[in-house]
Amino acid sequence: MSDLTGIMAVTMIIWIGLFAYVYRLDRKVSRLED
Amino acid sequence: MNRVGLALKWFLFVWMVVVIWAAFMWIPSAEGFKGESSRIVFFHVPTAWVATLAFLVSCIASGMYLWRREPKYDFGAAVSAGLGLLYAVLATVTGAIFAKIMWGAYWNWDPRQTSITILLLIYAAYFALRSAVADPEKRATLSAVYSILAFVTVPFLMFIVPRIYFSLHPDVMTNADPDNSLDSAHLIVLLASLAGFTGLSVWLYSVGTRIEKIRHRRRQEVL
Amino acid sequence: MSRWLAEALAVAAKDLRAEFRTRVALNSLALFALTTLAAVSYTIGPYRLAAEDRPFLLSVLLWIVIFFAALAGLDRSFVKEEESHTAPLLRLAAAPTVVWAGKLLYNLVLIFVLMAMLAPLFCVLMGFEIAMPWRFVMVLAVGGYGLAVITTIVAAIIAQAMTRGALFSVLSLPLLLPLLIIVIEGTRAVAMGDLASFSESLRAMITMAGAMTIVSAFLFPIVWRD
Repeated sequence: MSDLTGIMAVTMIIWIGLFAYVYRLDRKVSRLED
Repeated sequence: MNRVGLALKWFLFVWMVVVIWAAFMWIPSAEGFKGESSRIVFFHVPTAWVATLAFLVSCIASGMYLWRREPKYDFGAAVSAGLGLLYAVLATVTGAIFAKIMWGAYWNWDPRQTSITILLLIYAAYFALRSAVADPEKRATLSAVYSILAFVTVPFLMFIVPRIYFSLHPDVMTNADPDNSLDSAHLIVLLASLAGFTGLSVWLYSVGTRIEKIRHRRRQEVL
Repeated sequence: MSRWLAEALAVAAKDLRAEFRTRVALNSLALFALTTLAAVSYTIGPYRLAAEDRPFLLSVLLWIVIFFAALAGLDRSFVKEEESHTAPLLRLAAAPTVVWAGKLLYNLVLIFVLMAMLAPLFCVLMGFEIAMPWRFVMVLAVGGYGLAVITTIVAAIIAQAMTRGALFSVLSLPLLLPLLIIVIEGTRAVAMGDLASFSESLRAMITMAGAMTIVSAFLFPIVWRD
């Protein structure tokens, strides 16, 4: 089962990274708009 | 960034965290699937679905552009096509991983893999067209026309080509549509994942079109 | 209605007359097709393929030659108007849908001429045995029409894009791939005498060609007017 938790951890990390990236992009764009 | 938007984004974050956890921990292994490959379905099906949705939005935005000639529709068409392409790539990759676990090969040109590859080529060509036209209005018009033509093939690729393809390659293995054999727990997670991916793409679409608007505004200011 | 048809035929006739004078597109089509056929025949020949693979593989090869020949020969149907500056005159002289229908007819004639030359030659050189010859002609006809419809609208798009080279193929080929799968299956079916699969393929072909016809007819005036 640790294999599964490993893959889940990787997926989580990918999601967190993606979210952080888009969030930062969104903030930057918001600043440019104002 | 306003309050509601902020709340929604954090809600999306938590939502997807729960979905990922549920897909791996809460759901038991499914029968008929080798190993834990059934879990990939929770990510594979939504990406394929959202890709199709994105291409539809691109087609509609293209139609709106041809009707109203407002640049915002062109931005929407291009951003949506790009999102569709991105999601289609994800769908291809997750599908290939699934194929590897189930049948030992990443790629065996089964009807679904073939259809998604053709879709990738069609929308990659959309961007080839866009990069070949310098004048913004002409670029918008021509790519709008192509986006509509492209979407005409989508129903064929989704429904008709797989059936015909089967006659051509009766030996190709393909999984029975996972939606059919899912119990309620699987269905809940699948739908939740679908909602999450859709929410994500709405957000990406909004960010993408805002970027295009800024670019466009900058260009106008230079002139 | 008949006035519209007469005008469309006039556009097609003008193009065909010009084409038979210079034979630029025809040469591209014919040369490409014959050279590829020679290459295929030379390397594979009528004996190399196992009997059970023949209907499928020969269908694939035939249509790949046809499609690529079409891509080689049909890219200039609108570009030549822009280059010779006859496009503005054409815009004045005929309604957009008339121009579209005329160009479509022109491309159709070229494709059918290509097929008339290529298909028999292919069958002879490759030893392609076809169980249902008349239905084979139907598959060629409908498949050829689908090919013509899609290449016509794409040719119109790239003529406006003012670029040379591969853009026509880059845009056409992905759109043609679904049709390619369907016509290959239809051809395999008629080669083997599989009536059920032939009917299904024919229906799919006609549906796709019909959908593309309607959408092209609507979109062409938009591309042309620019």
